[in-house]
Amino acid sequence: MGIRKYAVIGALALAGVSLFGLSARAEDVKLTVWSLDRDIQPAPNLVAEFNKLNNGIQIEYRQIQFDDVVSEAMRAYSTGQAPDIIAIDNPEHALFSSRGAFLDLTDMISKSTVIKPENYFPGPLKSVEWDGKYYGVPKATNTIALYYNKDMFTAKGLDPNKPPQTWDELVDAARKLTDPAANVYGLAFSAKANEEGTFQFLPWAQMGGGSYENINTEGAVKALEIWKTIIDEKLASPDTLTRGQWDSTGTFNSGNAAMAISGPWELDRMTQEAKFDWGVTLLPVPKEGVERSSAMGDFNWAIFASSKHPAEAFKALEFFASQDDKMFKNYGQLPARSDISIPETGQPLKDAALKVFLEQLKYAKPRGPHPEWPKISKAIQDAIQAALTGQASPKDALDQAAEKIKAVLG
Amino acid sequence: MPHSPSSGPTGHLLPAGERLNRMADAPSSISSRKGLSSAQAPGSPVRDVGGPVTRLLSSVRDGRGFDIVLVAFPLGFLFLMAGLPLLYNVLMSFQEVDMFSLGTLMRPFVGLKNYRDLFAQPETLPILANTAIFVVGSIAGQFLIGFGLALFFWVNFPGAAWLRGLFLVSWVMPGLVVGAIWNWILSGDFGVLNFILREGGIISANIFWRSDPNYSLYAVILANIWLGTAFNMILLSVGLAGIPADLYEAAELDGANAWQRFWTITLPMMRSTIGAIIALGLIFTLQQFDLFAAITSGGPNNSSNVTQYWAWEQSFRQYDFAKGATISVLMIVFVMIASVVYVRSTRHEVRG
Amino acid sequence: MTETNRNRLMLLIAIVMAAIYLFPLYWMYITALKSGSEMFATPPTFWPSVPQWSTYAFVWESRGMGRYLWNSLVIASGAVVLITVLGVGCAYVLARYRNVWVDIGLFLILMLQVLPASLMITPIFVGFSQLGMLDYPRLAVIIAIAAKSMPFFVVLVRATFMAVPMELEEAALVDGNSRVGAFFHIVLPLARNGILVSAILIFMQAFGEFVYSKSIIQDIELQPASVGLNSFMGPNTNEWNNIMAYATIYVTPILAIFVLLQRRIVSGLTSGAIK
Repeated sequence: MGIRKYAVIGALALAGVSLFGLSARAEDVKLTVWSLDRDIQPAPNLVAEFNKLNNGIQIEYRQIQFDDVVSEAMRAYSTGQAPDIIAIDNPEHALFSSRGAFLDLTDMISKSTVIKPENYFPGPLKSVEWDGKYYGVPKATNTIALYYNKDMFTAKGLDPNKPPQTWDELVDAARKLTDPAANVYGLAFSAKANEEGTFQFLPWAQMGGGSYENINTEGAVKALEIWKTIIDEKLASPDTLTRGQWDSTGTFNSGNAAMAISGPWELDRMTQEAKFDWGVTLLPVPKEGVERSSAMGDFNWAIFASSKHPAEAFKALEFFASQDDKMFKNYGQLPARSDISIPETGQPLKDAALKVFLEQLKYAKPRGPHPEWPKISKAIQDAIQAALTGQASPKDALDQAAEKIKAVLG
Repeated sequence: MPHSPSSGPTGHLLPAGERLNRMADAPSSISSRKGLSSAQAPGSPVRDVGGPVTRLLSSVRDGRGFDIVLVAFPLGFLFLMAGLPLLYNVLMSFQEVDMFSLGTLMRPFVGLKNYRDLFAQPETLPILANTAIFVVGSIAGQFLIGFGLALFFWVNFPGAAWLRGLFLVSWVMPGLVVGAIWNWILSGDFGVLNFILREGGIISANIFWRSDPNYSLYAVILANIWLGTAFNMILLSVGLAGIPADLYEAAELDGANAWQRFWTITLPMMRSTIGAIIALGLIFTLQQFDLFAAITSGGPNNSSNVTQYWAWEQSFRQYDFAKGATISVLMIVFVMIASVVYVRSTRHEVRG
Repeated sequence: MTETNRNRLMLLIAIVMAAIYLFPLYWMYITALKSGSEMFATPPTFWPSVPQWSTYAFVWESRGMGRYLWNSLVIASGAVVLITVLGVGCAYVLARYRNVWVDIGLFLILMLQVLPASLMITPIFVGFSQLGMLDYPRLAVIIAIAAKSMPFFVVLVRATFMAVPMELEEAALVDGNSRVGAFFHIVLPLARNGILVSAILIFMQAFGEFVYSKSIIQDIELQPASVGLNSFMGPNTNEWNNIMAYATIYVTPILAIFVLLQRRIVSGLTSGAIK
């Protein structure tokens, strides 16, 4: 018995020494960051800059595809393999924070001199909140507005300085601009059966007096009817049902669509590719004077509750936030901050567009936050697809969606 | 090398009675000599010397133990790497699964609730029907085109072997690339398929392959037929090459025409090959995922959704892992059919 | 119709059919050479106006394709070795006997393949993480691929063994060989071609494997070419010419080997070493 006891103590002591030895040797704290950003986007560059600071923290970066972020994160977290920091799409933030998978950053933020809640737009900030606490920091923000091809407007006798302001004007303009002989559709947008479809439809529903909790209001039904008109009359490509926003806007850039509903992430590509004069205007409203609304997109930073180095991870987030002022210039993304005024880029089209998007952001509403957002979103996507393929009337489709959402909300 | 007329993987030309004799005969002729027999017979010790350890070793070297070792490792491996994950899914279909409880097995049981919920959903039956159409359509297309090509290239003409080689590209191309290319070809406005059909005067207006609920499933089937034809053709070519030429000569002497020869010689001789191909094709088709993800994402409005994509959607889009697992259990039924087809087809084989 | 004319006609038909069938491949090659705006042109162009040959060098350099292809090679080779070692013996035994156990074995081997990789990955990932296998990600992927592709291999190789005359093995046993001896010296050499060919088919599948590699291999240094391809194929891609150039570099060497070897592949599967 005695010998065994000593052996155990000896082994423990050895283990202690070797642990001490290990931690003494490995001077740098190692963090891992997962995000969907690729080389020309912020995250990998911020990580590289951070590593150059040589402040005793080294970050390893892993790029994950947009579609894989949540599933990879979930799988990793439930098996104890989660990274320290992750960038997560804002409607999915609550999925994790409500379950305690993300670290509560409220105390750290209150002590921070860099990250201050009052500096952020309310919409993005709300998406990192759960139960009155902060579980992340907005990484960037975006919203959608209406791009239009001024040259085509002129060619079809429309005033290029008076883009459509109401839904009726939009449909009207689309009818005039559609030209099958020249392979031109009036409008490009996305009604794809994924989050993108929800993202594009919710602003319309909200302007029609609806919301995700109340998706079948009269105005929302009207919105879906207008979408159906646009598809039925082939004012937009039937592939709108299976095409994401990026591909749809690609047809605008190539001159195959006269207007496009999309976000500021298109600006860099459009300035390069579009061989025509274009402009951006606020999303049309149902009727003049109706309150505007828009979707709020983009990702948030969060620290996993399982992180062994929460203080260091927060330091990294502080560094990322401190670089927000360069985000638009370097990467063409909008910081989620009200205290940063974005300097002009010198490209007139891009600067004009930026003004519109900043105005549109004021009306941006977060999706949720709700821990079961994917189910709510699915109900809305199903309604859009059922209505646009003609398998249910817009009213019936949205009534069904409302019922499904009610079941989720409980 | 001796080449008896009945050799070849498809050998099946002896009269049934003689075939049975041969089957019964072959193993027993060995067992009588070496004290080894087919697995049903009790294992008699090979040489009655030495203790149990020696006996075991000698059995592994020279007896039934050899066979058991050869089979046990791969089956054990498959059980660990494919069987346990399958059981994990079956177990999940009876549980309430939380997205963060993926790492454990102990989750609250809910009995058949997941199954009841699944069949209460209006999309379930259409998706099962889609799956059946997808499987039948894909396999029929792949098999008929593959068989046609195999027969065509079987007729030996200069350049046949080389050209046949070119048809195998679809086997080599990664699913990601195939999906991306077909997505392009099938695109409604600038897709090249519509362009060709239009120029050829076959259609007057573009068909929206990906977005028209009437066509979307068939668009994926088309791509999948393209993908699977190579696999069908190569295995059918192998089967055809295994049919002894003298059979045809004899039939020709008897005055059988090409059609009759096809029905009385080619098809019966190919029975086990065809069984294997259809079984494997069924499994490949049920595992086809990349094409759905790349071309239609199961849409619009589930019109091209099938069980394998739907199960993934439930698990990784709705994070309803229990529902995803329940759908995957339904798929077992499909694969069971494939397995039975295959095992039955092996009944027609005779070993060379 | 004379023999020569018939041959010419057959060749012509074959070329036309091959041209139709190979169109997607052609489209991959041609898109890689197109400029950005030409890709979306309506009507499509069937030959690029100004072929952009530099795309290949650009993609090879900027994407570090050498490393990705090396990893693909390592993973595919490892999977083939593992499958061959485990699968050959299994196929041999399943070809040697005919009884209910063999039926059950074949049934199970196929049955276990019910789920696509996208659904198998979660339990496999969970299992690997508990065994600590995620620290050896390439090995983990090799094992996962082996489990997925083995049934196909066993079915093919079993057919090869069926073609090896039983009498030869019996004769070897009569001559005093042990079972092990007869297997290695008589049966295996006779089935060599079929095994080799099946291994090549498996190799080509493993070379393009994606789902397991994507989730299991997180270190970019160890990822195979399929994951590298996917990393710039996301929903917001507009570099289709680069993607297709990448795919071309990825696929062409394998394709060339395949076309060169295919005559052997068919004859190898047909008859073991008999011909």
